[in-house]
Amino acid sequence: MNLSARMIVVLTAVGLISGSLMAVVGMLTKDRIALNRQQEIEAAILEVVPGTDTSEELFTEKNFTIYGGKNRDGNLIGYAVYTSGTGFQDIISLMFGTDPNITKINALSILEQKETPGLGAKITDKELFLRFWDNKNAGSALSLRKPAVRSQDELAANEVNTITGATISSDKVLSIVNQSLEKLKQIKQAGKLISEDNDAE
Amino acid sequence: MELLTLFIAAILVNNFVLYYFLGICPFLGVSKKIDSAFSMGLAVTFVMTITAVVSWMINHWILIPYNLDYLQIVSFILVIAALVQLVEMFIRKISPPLYQALGIYLPLITTNCAIMGLALLAALKDYGFAKTVVFGVGSGLGFTLAIVLMAGIREQLDLADVPEPLKGAGIALIIAGIIALAFTGFSGMIN
Amino acid sequence: MPSKSVGAEYIKGLWEENPVFRQLLGMCPILAVTNAVINGIAMGLATYFVLILSSVVVSSIKKLIPSQVRIASYIVIIATFVTIADRFMAAFFPPISKSLGPYIPLIVVNCIILGRQEAFSSKNSVGRSLVDALGMSTGFILALLVLSSIREILGMGTFLGHQVMGAWFKPWIIMILPAGAFITLGILLAVALVIESETKKRKN
Repeated sequence: MNLSARMIVVLTAVGLISGSLMAVVGMLTKDRIALNRQQEIEAAILEVVPGTDTSEELFTEKNFTIYGGKNRDGNLIGYAVYTSGTGFQDIISLMFGTDPNITKINALSILEQKETPGLGAKITDKELFLRFWDNKNAGSALSLRKPAVRSQDELAANEVNTITGATISSDKVLSIVNQSLEKLKQIKQAGKLISEDNDAE
Repeated sequence: MELLTLFIAAILVNNFVLYYFLGICPFLGVSKKIDSAFSMGLAVTFVMTITAVVSWMINHWILIPYNLDYLQIVSFILVIAALVQLVEMFIRKISPPLYQALGIYLPLITTNCAIMGLALLAALKDYGFAKTVVFGVGSGLGFTLAIVLMAGIREQLDLADVPEPLKGAGIALIIAGIIALAFTGFSGMIN
Repeated sequence: MPSKSVGAEYIKGLWEENPVFRQLLGMCPILAVTNAVINGIAMGLATYFVLILSSVVVSSIKKLIPSQVRIASYIVIIATFVTIADRFMAAFFPPISKSLGPYIPLIVVNCIILGRQEAFSSKNSVGRSLVDALGMSTGFILALLVLSSIREILGMGTFLGHQVMGAWFKPWIIMILPAGAFITLGILLAVALVIESETKKRKN
């Protein structure tokens, strides 16, 4: 066999074997990877719309998805908004939940962030940051309380706490939530939240 | 506007060398002289821009439509290798002076993780076409900025009395650390 | 390279030819993933898997591959194992896969792996290549462990997520930042050089 024929044969063989090996592995792991993703979303929805039994996607576009959470009787008990935006360093992905009339924010959950460890990364800390987002008034845009306070009681109904030493990260999370909240309201008003069946009522 | 912020962020905030740690080998290896550092930076920027375009096309026209995402790694690396070869031949034909300046750096670029990193990051962040291109150019310029800064300091360092064990890579890494620290000052400036 | 015993072939990867401290290879992953010990271990094991299997495959088919297309073939072989490692992690260890992000796929351009194929596996028997790969990847994991332990303990006061420093300890956040990675590795390289020259002196 001359050289170029051998080169072609070897490369084709290597390519075919590698390709089929990767295809098999790709096939075997595909469902599992999709399932991991789905479980992560479901866990986050349950966290921000407590009492959710089933959830469905009501609206989706790039980096912005609205899920509707339903209780066991099939009644809509809230919306969960999954979105992302730029933080201090890199992308922050988060989810927050509201009641069906979008009058209050139930809770906030940070799904992905690459903020400075020890400073901005505290946005994932329940005690220091996330708990101050529970049950906030969503009628108007939220604002940040600076400097930080210690207890929920000191905050106004539409105020959330700052993390000391990570004002920018706190602020970025706030603006992502405020923008998405506004968007959620507009989409709901425009009647674009599909399959919102209220048969159970 | 969004593109402009992405561009500046790619150069300063999410600098390829100082934030993502990509392209460390040339960053340490080709940063002894400003001239050669600058040429290396240009070569990388050039290849990065083309890689951004081509990898986007492969990802969005072939891999995603046909559900071949498991071939992403192998197709990106092969395309980069082929691309560098083509660019090298092309430059040699078109502009001998440019080839003189960039030629020796081009083969080094194939194994430069910054190029592969660019293709992977753009796919991971799900950028559209325009964003991918801007990200490619910005990241290349960010790399150039970092390597030229480094070379400038290292040229001065020749005169300094560096402890024997730190000479070479050791002191270069420590300087890189200090530059990285200075660059963290840019974080958060992008809204 | 005959005449070297199997043991020596393994040991050389740990110190004498340690890929990170002595050969300055694989710097990108070493710096990027060592902000926590768990990330370092995950990266080390993925590299271990890819390097060993690539070395075995390359050394067993080395006679079949014409030298003009050897690099292309090596790259495809390496990329296959990297894809398998990447998929496996995404499927079974999603949090780690997420925090390592693009760095697992980037093993494909880790110079240690292609370097060992070119310098060793393409010239040596399967057995020797396996031992060489074992030694090199252990050396790589050692380096990852040392750097990530220093960074996590000083930067967060924890080891593998467990608090190890007392309440008096204020974490040095710089250690977790990119700057800490560069500076710590720079100092470690110098320490490695000092140890090397001291042992040489003692031998003479």
